[in-house]
Amino acid sequence: MSSITVDKTAPKSKAAAPARKRRSFDTTTGRGLLQLVAVIAFFAAWELGVRAGWISDFLVGAPSGIAKITYQMLMSGQLLTDTWYTLMEAALGFIIGTVVGSIAGLALWYSVFVARLVEPFIVAINSVPKIAFAPIVILWFGTGLISKVALAVSLTAIVALIAAYQAAKDADPDLQSLLFSMGANKHQIFYRAVVPSTIPAMIATFRINIGFGLVGAVVGEFISSQQGLGHLIYNASSLYDLNTVWAGLFVLMLMGFVLYHVIDVIERLALPWKQATTHTQVQV
Amino acid sequence: MASASVQLSVRNIQKSFPGKGGTVHVLDGLNFDIREQDFVSIIGPSGCGKSTIFNIVAGLIAPDAGTLLHRNEEIASLRGHVGYMMQKDLLFPWRTVLDNVLLGLEMRGVDRREAVDKARQHLASFGLSGFENAYPKTLSGGMRQRVALIRTLIMDPDILLLDEPFSALDYQTRLYLEGVLKEAVEKFKKTVVLVTHDIDEAVALSKRVVVLSGRPSRVKAVHEIDIAESSPVAARGNPRFSGYFHMLCGELDIQTMAAAS
Repeated sequence: MSSITVDKTAPKSKAAAPARKRRSFDTTTGRGLLQLVAVIAFFAAWELGVRAGWISDFLVGAPSGIAKITYQMLMSGQLLTDTWYTLMEAALGFIIGTVVGSIAGLALWYSVFVARLVEPFIVAINSVPKIAFAPIVILWFGTGLISKVALAVSLTAIVALIAAYQAAKDADPDLQSLLFSMGANKHQIFYRAVVPSTIPAMIATFRINIGFGLVGAVVGEFISSQQGLGHLIYNASSLYDLNTVWAGLFVLMLMGFVLYHVIDVIERLALPWKQATTHTQVQV
Repeated sequence: MASASVQLSVRNIQKSFPGKGGTVHVLDGLNFDIREQDFVSIIGPSGCGKSTIFNIVAGLIAPDAGTLLHRNEEIASLRGHVGYMMQKDLLFPWRTVLDNVLLGLEMRGVDRREAVDKARQHLASFGLSGFENAYPKTLSGGMRQRVALIRTLIMDPDILLLDEPFSALDYQTRLYLEGVLKEAVEKFKKTVVLVTHDIDEAVALSKRVVVLSGRPSRVKAVHEIDIAESSPVAARGNPRFSGYFHMLCGELDIQTMAAAS
């Protein structure tokens, strides 16, 4: 045992010696700084290009104009109303679609017969571009909030269903055998072995579905709506008001960014065992 | 052998699996007895169906023919009454050490507070106090197998089925855990069936060794191991140890030669 310890420490101290302290941007603050510089440089070049007449203000807008219109829309309250409306559509669509899809996908684990029966239908529905449903959805559910939620649900549910079913199928059979040998019934195996092992895969699909929720909301608004960021962008672009279009797009980008990080927080809370470190490791 | 002391009788068990080149006969009329508080090792050439026997006893698969008698009563399997341990520790990664130990008691619907008390006592007696809330991935392989052993023992099973439980561990940890197992089995008065490919381990731990022939498997011989030392390390120092070891090696060698021809 002692010889192992000596062997291990010897090369370690050698390896540590040449590692001199040097300035590096590869830290959280360092990377943040570089990212900020990149963003500022991008907008500065854009603004400069417009001012110098190299690019057309009419066709691409200008950062100063975007800032001005964003400020005006913020003050009038229009931007917040539209943002809130689109956020509600996307979030409701995401939550309903993900919950319904996940439950349906997990339920398929229960019956191999039913799963095999419905598989071609799932594949068929999944292969249709769901956006093509948009006109029908508007016809059925009207031009208000519900039609956008329905569209977002149609996009997110199938993704969640396929992911949940696949993850349930992939759940470790040995863990299920162990529970079975302990006398567990099918429900106990489902809740104790199958469902927990699908959680990481399901949270991974949350990230994809956040995007699809926003797609459903915005495309629905493009087709027919009275408010929302999609409505704002569509109207402004038909009036060649590029600055307003950009303002709407940047708010959408920000929304997606924030939602993505909300998923990060959910992941950390739901999967504490994934974060567990080995610093308490002790050899017997 | 007096029938009163027999706990589990395996009678004429047959099992075949559909394979690519036709049906594969794995077990061909297997017969052996396990006594009360016995420690039996099953050894045999690889692929001879050692794990299949366990899966049948644990109720994971059904035999094609044959019967199991438990304390003279015919049973389909010992499902719910066996403690199963494999080479993989099979700890649930999303459960803490304590919750992993509680798994079997949860399945039985034991009162949670009562179960937690019992689990803490077991963890303490196996030197795992302070690790109740740790996740399995933060533990060493030896500690994980100890948790798996506690999870098995806390259910008070009629028989422990151990399927090469230590073969993934390094030799030191393995010797240590063999000792822990042997002590626990004596303390809780358990019957153990151990499948192993390690003759050394079989001789050091067992009261009896069942030697299986190559596929399709039958019982080739049953040997009583008359070694008084209960510690697996001390047992390896017994003058008779080497004799048993070479005899079993010889038996397995003959089998491998027969299978090759």
